[in-house]
Amino acid sequence: MKRKPVRTSKSRRRKGTGKSRPKGHERIAPKRPDSVDTIVEASAQALGIPLNPAWREGIAFNLRLILRHAKLVDEFPLPDHIEPAPVFYA
Amino acid sequence: MLDASAADDLAWSTASHLAAEVASGRLSALQVIEATLARIRKRDLLLNSFTAVTEQRARDRARALDRARASGRGSGPLTGVPFAVKNLFDVAGLPTLAGSKINRDNERAQRDAALIERLELAGAVLVGALNMGEYAYDFTGENIHDGPSRNPHDLKRMTGGSSGGSGSAVAGGLVPLALGSDTNGSIRVPSSCCGIFGLKPTYGRLSRARSFAFVASLDHVGLMARTVEDLALAYDAMQGFDPDDPVCVNRITQPVGPLLKRGATGLRIAVAGGYFKPRSAEALQAIDRVAVALGVSRDVGIPQAERARSAAFLITASEGASLHLDRLRSRAKDYDPAVRDRLIAGAMAPASLVVKAHKFRRWYREEMLKLFADVDVILALATPCVAPLIGQQTFMFGDQELPVRANLGIYTQPISFIGLPVVAVPIPLSPLPIAVQIIAAPWREDIALRVAYTLEADGIAAAPRPTI
Repeated sequence: MKRKPVRTSKSRRRKGTGKSRPKGHERIAPKRPDSVDTIVEASAQALGIPLNPAWREGIAFNLRLILRHAKLVDEFPLPDHIEPAPVFYA
Repeated sequence: MLDASAADDLAWSTASHLAAEVASGRLSALQVIEATLARIRKRDLLLNSFTAVTEQRARDRARALDRARASGRGSGPLTGVPFAVKNLFDVAGLPTLAGSKINRDNERAQRDAALIERLELAGAVLVGALNMGEYAYDFTGENIHDGPSRNPHDLKRMTGGSSGGSGSAVAGGLVPLALGSDTNGSIRVPSSCCGIFGLKPTYGRLSRARSFAFVASLDHVGLMARTVEDLALAYDAMQGFDPDDPVCVNRITQPVGPLLKRGATGLRIAVAGGYFKPRSAEALQAIDRVAVALGVSRDVGIPQAERARSAAFLITASEGASLHLDRLRSRAKDYDPAVRDRLIAGAMAPASLVVKAHKFRRWYREEMLKLFADVDVILALATPCVAPLIGQQTFMFGDQELPVRANLGIYTQPISFIGLPVVAVPIPLSPLPIAVQIIAAPWREDIALRVAYTLEADGIAAAPRPTI
């Protein structure tokens, strides 16, 4: 039996894109998850917060914002003797 | 019953004027309350500032006050004065909404918030609960469940938040006094957008007992009014230790009413520079007017103000999330999506950096106290711009385009972060007002109120009357 040659995905792509895309209409590659997306996923799991996939982008946006503010705090050198400020009376 | 025009005249009456009229017998408490309720019914269709009107309770209370007066029993300094409260204060018989859908399912409050009890002890009459941003995580006054509270000076504009209903009700002449809360600016921002006076006292001064928390480390309660005298009158009625609020400090009560007329003479006043530099024409005009009126030519740098704001932002995100964790697990879809996303993200903030933010708070406090060895008052804008349009997403901050929701409190956050007392004074620019913060050292509300009173007496600060 003569086997049909297996068409590679590469060759399929070539066939399908005989014409090059007009300039400015390049397909935008889907955003690759970064470390914040990973934190959102893992933290939600650890905290037991069920995540609707539609919320992930908004949560990741806000977490990036929080981390930007946190970086500013983190960069400031504080002496070891400084106590945290919350009020607690024993 | 008053005729319509007399009732409308009462709309812009101050609390002190109404109290004097009732004390003299020229008006009964019931007449004042009926006129107030009629006004709310009519005008709140436009303003959307109330979420509950406690009509029966207010009438019963007013009748009781009138009976007491007729029988010669003593009356308090606020007798017959109507007031309303942001709906995060417990009102007996109502669920405490805190601007949310979720809390509608809660049990009704059994007892009033501590500050309501104190105002009523002084003779004031509660007339209802006010709209607010969901769970107080808001600077806009918009609310997805109840609709936005509207700015009486332009109904298309925001009130500012999160005490948006309080700003709208006072600026719109529905009530002369309203209670609000301020974690990062939620009294001072709506005071600025709506053009009224706001007092955020020192952290720990007024009792937060039986109010719905947001960020325990930063939550303050305070009030809004159309005159400084009214702020002082109500503030004095609410001062005093309360063991029901673990943060409330046991200090001697310091009445400020008798001190107002001492004025600003002799006080060392400076304008906050650097981070607080105005970046819009109206902002510059407002701060200049105040500085010129007070004869201030000195600038002072607030050390690490931007970092202080970031630390407040981080603590808010983390503590707010912690408060809501169980609800985020079980009812996340019932939140305003904008609030939900911020809270869930806050739950993921690194704990080590949140602790560092609390340590930075201590450092910053020490630096600010050093500044107050050299000045008595610092002036800074309350908001970077006048009230944005409802739904507006961004505003121009110099040449930067910033999101409205997160940045209307850019000038208030570094101040409440260490609990300094502030009076927001409205500067009646045309077409829209904007407020300046009068900032004093901890526990010196008297100084901030004296400066505010001077500016009001000189015609520099005033709550403009809207034409609704």
